[in-house]
This record gives sequence, structure tokens and C-alpha cells, in this order.
Amino acid sequence: MVDTDITVRPKARTVEELEDLAFELRQKLLHLCGTYEGVVHIGGDLSVADILIALYHYGLNVDPENIADPKRDRFVLSKGHAAVCMYIAMAMRGFFSYDEIVATYGQLGSAYGMHPCKVQLPGVEASTGSLGHGLPIAVGMAKSARQRGEKHRVFALLGDGETGEGSIWEAAMAARSAELGNLVAFVDRNHQLMTSFSEDRVVLEPFHGKWASFGWNVISADGHNMKDLKSIIDSLPSPDSTRPTVVIAETIKGKGVDFMERSIAWHAGSLGKEDLERAMAALESTRKVSA
Amino acid sequence: MPVTFTFSEFLSARSVIGDTLAELGDEYPNLWTITPEIGATLGEFRAKFPDRFIDVGIAEQVSVGIASGLAYEGNIPVVSGMLPFLSMRALEQIRSDVCYPNLPVKIIGTHGGLVGNGGSTHYAVEDLALMCALTNMTVTSIGDPLMVGEVLRQSMKMTGPLYIRLAVGKSDMVLYQQGEHDIQIGKGIIARPGYDVTLFTHGTTVAQALEAAEKLAGIGHSVRVVDMFTLKPIDADLIVRCAEETDGRFVVLEDHLAYGGLASRIADVVVDRGISLKAFERLGIPQVFAGFGDDEQLRDKYGYGLTSTVSALIRAMSA
Repeated sequence: MVDTDITVRPKARTVEELEDLAFELRQKLLHLCGTYEGVVHIGGDLSVADILIALYHYGLNVDPENIADPKRDRFVLSKGHAAVCMYIAMAMRGFFSYDEIVATYGQLGSAYGMHPCKVQLPGVEASTGSLGHGLPIAVGMAKSARQRGEKHRVFALLGDGETGEGSIWEAAMAARSAELGNLVAFVDRNHQLMTSFSEDRVVLEPFHGKWASFGWNVISADGHNMKDLKSIIDSLPSPDSTRPTVVIAETIKGKGVDFMERSIAWHAGSLGKEDLERAMAALESTRKVSA
Repeated sequence: MPVTFTFSEFLSARSVIGDTLAELGDEYPNLWTITPEIGATLGEFRAKFPDRFIDVGIAEQVSVGIASGLAYEGNIPVVSGMLPFLSMRALEQIRSDVCYPNLPVKIIGTHGGLVGNGGSTHYAVEDLALMCALTNMTVTSIGDPLMVGEVLRQSMKMTGPLYIRLAVGKSDMVLYQQGEHDIQIGKGIIARPGYDVTLFTHGTTVAQALEAAEKLAGIGHSVRVVDMFTLKPIDADLIVRCAEETDGRFVVLEDHLAYGGLASRIADVVVDRGISLKAFERLGIPQVFAGFGDDEQLRDKYGYGLTSTVSALIRAMSA
């Protein structure tokens, strides 16, 4: 497919611009979820939509026209099942063609699948999908940058459920031991796993305390408040600093579509035509409220 | 260093690895070493390149995850540890974070086979079966200490992952004179010529194979010993040639489960290439969790010691 519709968008500047982009991302996500016949991890996509816009359209120093620039910030999607949300956020910045994503997602031969693959889609930084793997990879990238005297940051986006994996805490210790102030992890604290609410079966609290006790710089965020996310990005510690940072972003799984919000039924699914209209209408009503 | 060793001298594979990596670190400024807490092997490298050495403590999964991240950035990471843990605790990281993106990470370690007397938690006996199953992975098992250095040197040019299995590496018999064999990853070595039967082996049992061949030479038998140090990709052409040149008689000896390791790799070639054999004997670890004892005692107990090897060769030649 010819990538004729790729337009490289400059970084957004204002909170309002970022909010508009997040709205557009949710519309595009719902459209894909309504047209693709297979399953989309829509709940966890909607919970990270604002964070991915804040990163790809504001925080990350990346250039869609030079994806291998050594100076670029790195972004590792540790919760790889939110890949489609990342693909679309990246497409909106000019990395990929949204139309191509919609037309080919999950199809035979497509580079756009349920979990990102660096070999098939070089614009992403790492192949992920199995939970607990992305943060260790990000630690390796941050360590490499340090050794080479490179000044960029390495970002990772984790799900809160994913922190049940021991390898996340191995990485947390390794990052602190290596004093990787150039590493920033965002945790999508949506309080839900696939089939349960986090505190019901797995007690993650005290969540901030866990990261703090591992020696990380801990920042609390409202993961759906663009003003909050923007100001956190603006005030991140210098990449030269010695403590890795975790931004614990309080989020709502399914955010933006009332019948999906905090619903176990909408961890993943497919919207039919009727549900798509219902979801779009629900999303539209959130715009009116916030306007 | 142009030092000549002779067969039956002993040398520490660990120190060869340390010296080789320290030497390669000059030539390759992107070479890193990572260890889940067995720094001894990497002491020389660590002293010379402290900014390219990481000891993550007792944490195999993150050692491989970090190696993956380093390799994505264009580095050549060597992860060194104990194989029972690296090959199993970090198996999924090796598969999904290294093999899937086809990154040039080298996994090298000790305790391949019933060595070290640590009991079954500490014996890597199924590691080759696991590693051979992984797409993009090159799998080696090395018995000669100097060969480890040569393989490491060659591996710097590889674009994908590599697994190097050693026994214990504290004191290993020097099997080959320097320059005696053309060592190439992917090619088996005819360690001893012979025409009555081929004894295929790898790693720590190569020395035992040569000893068995020597014993049988004393009573007029000509045993070919093939050091199949690369299990994947397997040197299928050499297997075909050995079948033709040693009368279709094969014995496979390995310090690994008898099913799933080299014997199985060879059996696959035999079937796929339609080779007709007169004899095929497997000597290796049976499907049991082995107990304690020194290396030689355990090999005898589980039926792949020197005596068993000689008997199997005789059976194969008289089949």
C-alpha cells in the first residue's frame, strides 16, 4: 500500500491541541475496533491514549522522517498489547499511515499486529508483547546511552497488572543500581487485569511505596489530564540525574466510552456496527462535557 | 598469544574466555559483558572496560533483557552465567527478546551436563534441546578451552544470537593443537580419523570419545571421532559423508539428555536425507533427575561413561 496520506505533524504545543489529538486517537481506535473483525485490547488502549499522545506528540524527541536518529528518545511499549494505540498515535505524528493500519491490521502479511514487532515494523523500538519484558530492554537501552554519553531519554510504558511479573522488579533494581536517570517509566495504573480488578486478587498497593523503596523517583499523575501529563514531562529530572523516574498515572480502563469504563467485559473485544455507533456517541458526549 | 598446548594438558576455559573478551573489547568498542553474578569469568574484561560490564546480581531474566536492549542499540552483548538458570529462567527472554528480533546476543555459560556435583537443580541437561528449538539461534557446545576463544572471535561478525555451552570450565583438557583444525561455526570437526564407525560427540565428552577410540585402536578398530560442536545449524553434509565412509555405523555420545540433543539432531538428518544405517546408538543422560557424584561416577552410573562408550562402539561395529 502506498503511504500517500502520511503527513508529518509538528509537535503539539498546547494542552488543548493535545486534548484534541487524544480525542482523535480515541475516535480512530474505536473506528478500527468497529471495522476489524478480530479482537482489539480496547480497554487498555483507551486507558493509555492520553499518555501516548502526551509522549508521541509532545514529550518524545523523535523524528518520523529519521527513525534511526541516534539522538532520538527511545520508547518501549512494555504493555505490548496496546500496540494499535501506539501505531495510531505514531501514525498521527507521521510515522505510519493510519489508512494502511485500518486496511491491514491483523491481516496476513501486515506489519501491524496485536503486538509490535521491530523486524516487521522498524518504526517501533522493540518487539514486545510478553509482559514484564519491556522494562528490562529499556534498561539496556538506557545503559547503552549512558556509556556512549548520549543525552536522550528512554521511556517505557507499563501496565499496572504487568508489574506482577518479577522481571519488572529485577529491572527496577538494575536501573537503580546503574543510576539511570535517563530512564522514565510510565505505569498505566488502571487497576484492572484481564479478568479482575487489581486489588481483589493481586494486591499492588502500596504501589508508590514499592517503586520508592526500589529507589526510584516517583511521580503521581492523572493519566487522563493532559495539563498534568504535560507539566510532568516538562519537569522530568535531567537525563544526567542518578535516579530512574516512574510516573504512576491513575487511569480508567476504557476511558472515554462510558459502557467500557472499568468494565471487565471490555478488556478486549470487537465492536459491531451498532456498538460502534453507541461508542462513538459516548465518546462524542465526553467532548461536549470537556468543551 | 602463540602458545602451543598438547593433548592432555589442562587449561581453564573460563580464563580463555576472560582473556579473549578482554582482547576483543579493544577491537570492538561495542562489546559488552553482562552477568547474573558470576563475575569471575569476566574479571579481565571488567577490569579493562568497567563501563561495558554489568553484574545484575542474581537475576537471569533481566540480564538477558538488558542484553536485548543493548543489542537494539547496536552493541554486542555477551551474557555469561550458569546454564541451568540462563537456559531455563531466562528462556523466554532469550526467545522473545533476543531470537525474535534476531539480535547478536551471545549466551555463554558453564554447568552443561552432569558436572559440578550440584544435583539436578544445577545440571543443564535439557538446555540444548531448548536452544535448538529456537528460531534464529546458533547452538554450540565446546569441550576444548582454546576453541572457546576461537568461536567467540568468530561470533563477533554474527548478526544473530549464539549459545555457547561449556562444562565447568575451571580445568579443561586441551584437545586440539592450535591451527590443527579449521574451526568454523556450523562445521563439525573430524577430531580423529577412522573408518569402521563414527562416534559423534560435543563438549565435555569429546575427551572421553577420543579415549574410547584410542582404546579400540589398540585392538584393531578404527573409530572416527567427530566433534559436532555446532548443533544448530547441524553439519548435515558431514553426517552424510560419515555414513558413507564409516559403513553406516553411528554412535552418539553426549552429556545431555539422550533424546533432544545431538543424537536427535543427527537422527533428523538421517531421516530427512534418507540415510540408511546399520547401527545407531545413543549414549546420554536418561530421562531421570540425576543425583550427586563426580562427573565420571555420574557418567558411569547413567550409562554413558568410558566403558559404556567402548561397549556401544563394539555393538555398533558388530551390528
